[in-house]
Amino acid sequence: MARNPAWMSAGLASLALLGTGASLSYYEEALPTTLNPLFADTMVDRRSQELVFDRLWYHDAITNELKSRIVQRYEVAEGGQALKIHLTPGVKWHNGKGLSSKDICFTVDALLDKGTPSPLAEGYRQILEGCDTQGNSTALVRFTRVFHNPRERLGFAVLPASEFSSTAVTPDLPFGSHPVGTGPFKGTKGRRGANFEAFGNAHHGPALAQLRLSEGQDGSILVRALINNGMQGIVQVPPPNRPELSASDEVALKSYDLRSWWFIALNTNKGPLADKKVRQALNLMLDRTELRKFAIGVEAGDENSPCEFISGPFVQSSPYYNRAVPVVERANMARAEKLLTEAGLSKSGGSWMYKGAKVTFNIGMLATLNAEATDILDQIGNQLGKGGFDRQVDKVRADEWARRVTTGNAQEFDLLIGKWSFGLVEDVNDQFHTRKGGEGKLNIFNYSNPEVDGILGEYAAARTDTAAQDAYHKLHKVLATDLPYLFLWKLDSRSAWRTEVRNNIIAPYYYFTEIDGWKYSK
Amino acid sequence: MKRWWVRPLVRTVAALALPVAVPLLLTLLLWALPGDPASIVCPPENCTGTEALAERWNLHRGPMHFFSAWMSNAAGGELGNSWRMQAGVPVSDLVKESIPNTLALIGLAFIPILLGTVLAALDAIHRRLDPILHLMGLFPAVILAVIAAAWKVLTYTEFGGETAALFLGAAVLGIADGAFSGAVTGTRSVSSAERRQRYTGVGVLRGETELSNILPNITPALVGQLRARILHLFSGAVVVEVVLKIDGLGDLLWQAALVQDFGVVLPVATVFACFSAILLLAQALAEGGVAVWIRWSPKGVMERAA
Amino acid sequence: MTGRWPAIGVSAVLFAALIVLAVIAPEFLSEANLDLKEFGPAAVPPFGADDRGRPLWELAAQGARVVALPSVVAGLVVGLFAAAGGLIRSMDLRWADSAVAAFGEVVGALPRMVVILIVALLLPRDWRGLFPLAATWALLSAPGAMDEAAAVAERLGGARFVEALRAHGYSSWRIFVVHVVAFNLRPVIVRQAAEVTMQVVFLEISLSYLATSNDDPSFTHPDSVRSWADILHLGYRALAFDAPYMHALVLGLGLVALVAGTTIGISRAARAR
Repeated sequence: MARNPAWMSAGLASLALLGTGASLSYYEEALPTTLNPLFADTMVDRRSQELVFDRLWYHDAITNELKSRIVQRYEVAEGGQALKIHLTPGVKWHNGKGLSSKDICFTVDALLDKGTPSPLAEGYRQILEGCDTQGNSTALVRFTRVFHNPRERLGFAVLPASEFSSTAVTPDLPFGSHPVGTGPFKGTKGRRGANFEAFGNAHHGPALAQLRLSEGQDGSILVRALINNGMQGIVQVPPPNRPELSASDEVALKSYDLRSWWFIALNTNKGPLADKKVRQALNLMLDRTELRKFAIGVEAGDENSPCEFISGPFVQSSPYYNRAVPVVERANMARAEKLLTEAGLSKSGGSWMYKGAKVTFNIGMLATLNAEATDILDQIGNQLGKGGFDRQVDKVRADEWARRVTTGNAQEFDLLIGKWSFGLVEDVNDQFHTRKGGEGKLNIFNYSNPEVDGILGEYAAARTDTAAQDAYHKLHKVLATDLPYLFLWKLDSRSAWRTEVRNNIIAPYYYFTEIDGWKYSK
Repeated sequence: MKRWWVRPLVRTVAALALPVAVPLLLTLLLWALPGDPASIVCPPENCTGTEALAERWNLHRGPMHFFSAWMSNAAGGELGNSWRMQAGVPVSDLVKESIPNTLALIGLAFIPILLGTVLAALDAIHRRLDPILHLMGLFPAVILAVIAAAWKVLTYTEFGGETAALFLGAAVLGIADGAFSGAVTGTRSVSSAERRQRYTGVGVLRGETELSNILPNITPALVGQLRARILHLFSGAVVVEVVLKIDGLGDLLWQAALVQDFGVVLPVATVFACFSAILLLAQALAEGGVAVWIRWSPKGVMERAA
Repeated sequence: MTGRWPAIGVSAVLFAALIVLAVIAPEFLSEANLDLKEFGPAAVPPFGADDRGRPLWELAAQGARVVALPSVVAGLVVGLFAAAGGLIRSMDLRWADSAVAAFGEVVGALPRMVVILIVALLLPRDWRGLFPLAATWALLSAPGAMDEAAAVAERLGGARFVEALRAHGYSSWRIFVVHVVAFNLRPVIVRQAAEVTMQVVFLEISLSYLATSNDDPSFTHPDSVRSWADILHLGYRALAFDAPYMHALVLGLGLVALVAGTTIGISRAARAR
């Protein structure tokens, strides 16, 4: 779908650079770890890479329609097991070379190459079979099986074949700091931030000339810099700082839909937590309303609350959310104690005992969550302490979370507080499937339930949206009873941008999908 | 007295050994720890290619293989690329851009220390000022750095204040942890002990100055003290650079170690070791030089009969 | 002798205050009180409250507990090393003296904070705490202490001093432990030990501050516990952003002064005659 003929791209590039000359500076929660989309580790990575690369297909931020800037048209082929893609003419890489089918197939080959040590690529290896070029601007992408939504499976960023010597792409290549994409901006990553220079193209015409990313620090610094116009935006405003920004006339708070939900994973293979009744008791022991008040600053009954409770592994706005499953908003100590007694625990001197020993929970939390929910680890520990459980609390660094927690190697913990973020495809199979044969890759405590595995299999085999929704509604109901997780809430992210920044549509998850339309007038 | 060369020799050998011993020790330490950078990037449970990545980073055949490969590349000036902190950026580029900032910081911080040393050697600082000096020196570097960082935030926008940060950091390093006060009192105690020696009085009676008599004897001690102070500055520079966001070696080390980027941690720690080795060598040369000079008999002086 | 007692008294009182704080430290902090409008000592005696409405005395006490034992142990370790250095020189054990000198040159040439930082960042979570770092710091400080003690022992006369005492009929124990260490090396041993104790406390504050400002897990204590760095971080916010926590800065600096005062007092007490 070409927006402009190729001959206008040079003019647009100049226009973009000279037209407004506008440079926006904004705070992110951290620096991107890499600008190579194969190794995107954090949401900061994904947002930054959205400025530099085009994904084959993306969801329109307003209509949610599946679109592409680099695919002019497509056809389903080979009985539904392949997609023939015809590229938009005139699209250029940041190095001046033209986008061709060779680049599409290179990207697919890099994803499939076992020498590319990327968890993201590993996911695509279950979906993609291969790719063939059919001329300079046509590529045939083949899948491992028939998918009812094949374009949804091709949301990866396209890489330039000319910048790599092999399809085995490693994370330590210079491409990670000086990438080449077809996106609206050319990016470079430094020690203190990242710079993005506008690059006009046949399919992109950014109105902004430059974006500068800095790592956010203390919330007070972020607020002060924004109000004083030292910076023009904050991608994720910590909840405690939102009231101050909300009160300013020069700043607008905007919603950023991350489709993320918070949870406490329970080690169903350890001690008393192996018993479902104990898990249900913990669920009743938690006072989510108090937690929300102390950690996020939202009182019960607040209008426009950014924090919405959930009873299962989806956000309430998701079509997969089962509204028939109620949320437990307040603690119910009497019922909790009854369940614990039924599970065989006894109370002695105010502490619960299990098989003659005092129960002590080892609680961990992803360290970065503290910025969004202050002292939530202590709050949860206090609530469990009041309920009669001793505890030991630890923050877990992001590296360790990626290396040990998500790989199921942190069994020394009893409870782990974390957050999952999803794109528009809310596939939770990896979180709850038994970890075997490539399934359950993100199953934190190696939870295993054949009934759940069966439901997840139904979802994977679904050929229609309705069938997929039915399967996940069932999953929600089962998980709300079996409780491998205590489901907490969806916490809305809010961005803050100065009012001079106009037309700044924030796309769910990827944020900068509609950056072409952003304008800045002082 | 016949063994005057032992200490300088030990120092010289230590100076030559440091740039090898430090990366070796670090390599062994890193191997003793659970996990490795390859499995952080690509956990074996979640992706294939961990072994290939480990092989690319020489992590697949034990610490000695890693160390010897790294040393032979480093000897040829090849420090490799950053693995995670600034993925793909040559480490030598990161180090080259950091060294001037750290040297500037240390250099500026050294000025008050040198000044204190000279003034104390000349006996120009009265002992009545000692309590004030001690009070100044009590503040740890981190507290002064925090106060300096607060001032910088108040005064500058996000993208300014690098020069101010450098001068503030130097002031912090030069004053905190007894840097200036220690230079004054340390030099004074060494020089006043020498001033009380009989030979000094004899020299004064001959019409010579005190300083010209005591200087050869106190030089080794002063050089040793200065070396220790500079080393102390390097040590404190790490905290100061991180708090004040100065793009120096200390901050580079901190950022790299946070993400277990061994590709950067090892070279930067080795650079620190090289600086230490240079200081150690300088002290050994100064000690040896002074010892030789003292023992070099002037013309007309007879050798004492054995 | 009379010069010693005021110094002993002051340092004993200050040290006792530190120990009492450590002993009364609560295992977990109080519940947050978000309804608090005033945070000063008048509103929440005796030291005021933090930004979550929790009494600052709890943070001060927990911080004292974090540093008390490891810093004292590190000081004792360095004191023992210093004594050993002095004894080796007195006994004229040349081989040991050379080995200590060589070890000292290598270890003493390393920038301490660099080593500590690497150790702190790379320690596995299970081993995290102030003890390993304090032990590392003590090891790195030991050569300097041994060197100084050896220099003092040499000024006594070394082997001739020992021979002279032997001629008086004193036993080896009395010569080395009483005369060399207790009478002559005591000032340098006590001063070095006290300085290392203070340095370990400041080291803990530095590392905890770096962790706090990055929202990282602590390097030196369990995450349910707070350290003095958290108090100083409140003070930073008071200075930089006019946040109402100036009382926290005063308390933080006061705690630093408490440790520094203890160190100075002990050093003076050991020196004064």
